[in-house]
Amino acid sequence: MHIQISFILIILLTLISGCQSRKKPSSSNEYLRWVDDIQFDPTLDDESFALCHGEDGVLQYFNNSKGLEYEGEKHAIIKEFEERYDTTIAAKESGLIRIRFIVNCQGETDRFRILSMDENYNQIKIDQSITHQILNITKSLKGWKPKTFEEETVDYYQYLIFKIHQGKIVKILP
Amino acid sequence: MKQAIFLLLLLSNISSYGQLNCNAFLYNGDSLQYKACKLVERVEKKYYQFSKEYQEGLDKALEIYPYFAYAYREKAAPYVKSGDFITWKKLIDKAVEYDPLQYLGVRASLRYKFFADYKGAIADIEQLDSMVTYDIGPTSNGTYHLNVVKALCHKELGKKRNAIEILVNQIETETYIGAFDYLHLGVLYLNTQMYDEAIAAFEKQKEQNNLAENHYYSAMVFKEIGQIENCIELLKEAKILYEDGYHMHDPYSQLIDEIYLEDIEKELKTAYHTR
Repeated sequence: MHIQISFILIILLTLISGCQSRKKPSSSNEYLRWVDDIQFDPTLDDESFALCHGEDGVLQYFNNSKGLEYEGEKHAIIKEFEERYDTTIAAKESGLIRIRFIVNCQGETDRFRILSMDENYNQIKIDQSITHQILNITKSLKGWKPKTFEEETVDYYQYLIFKIHQGKIVKILP
Repeated sequence: MKQAIFLLLLLSNISSYGQLNCNAFLYNGDSLQYKACKLVERVEKKYYQFSKEYQEGLDKALEIYPYFAYAYREKAAPYVKSGDFITWKKLIDKAVEYDPLQYLGVRASLRYKFFADYKGAIADIEQLDSMVTYDIGPTSNGTYHLNVVKALCHKELGKKRNAIEILVNQIETETYIGAFDYLHLGVLYLNTQMYDEAIAAFEKQKEQNNLAENHYYSAMVFKEIGQIENCIELLKEAKILYEDGYHMHDPYSQLIDEIYLEDIEKELKTAYHTR
């Protein structure tokens, strides 16, 4: 009798563990805390870059209704790219490039990520003669203003989208 | 602070609530879509649009009714705001596929605003126009009539005369006048050297919605025709209005013809110099 019960228990445990190992990942595993959250990657990101309110406290650039906040406003960003982006060395490609990153409560930036598409919304890899320049100039921008909420400075996600035509930057969004 | 932030984020979803009418599905005997709709209603009230729980809730609604266009549109919303054009397009295309009359205009107004996709927006608006006999109406946020979006897209593609024609025709219908329609028309006239028409349009804008922009662009007309004193006066007025918060603004992106304080100050400096 004792042996029979033990046997049944072993079979049940095997079935349960078997079910768990074969269980499909639930859809909850596909999403992060928020859409498009950028998790720390030691191969890409600066370990010394600190978030003031932790990973769960990073907001979006529009959450305080003030939109893009930069010293000298958007003109200053456009000017940086006009002066430093070298069209002569850029491949004659077209599409959209988004650089998304975090601005912390001190106005410092890190966790830069690139996403690009052709003119028909197909994800593509745009030539490095374009993306490297855009990424490097974006990384060097120092005028990001810390955003405030309830008189406290917050960390937030910001992005810049570059519309590229034949290697030239024709528009910077948002 | 975290509670206050959550409340703020939740409130930012509210604009969507009004568009759902689940009872309409029930009335039409579509009980599955009704069930999915009620679930979406609950998800929208409880979770922030960017959150994992919000996306998961919408997925569950789509498991109940896989052709629920509204759920696809809501799933797409945070992606357009984070600038993820790839995921946004896949999701909004589904919404358009299942309900083109409702979502062609939405896709048009987002692709031009967030991704400067002017040709795509014009194509969507023209497709919608070809499918209906009624007025195609305004954008989902109500800023513009879709025909005005079409005009602005033509302008951005360099077709200013086409833009003027579409904008004038739309204004003449008197069906929907947006908050910046006369301003855009005035700027188009300014860009095509039609200065009297530009001033008249800026005056209309002033009556309807007085902004720093219409004073600034009026000043640019006077600059072009060599009336520097008028130009300076208008720039001074523009600066006061701007500093008092009366200027174009959108939390997500720079609007077409929107100006910054620096633009006014730069022109003032130039005007004083050439006086």
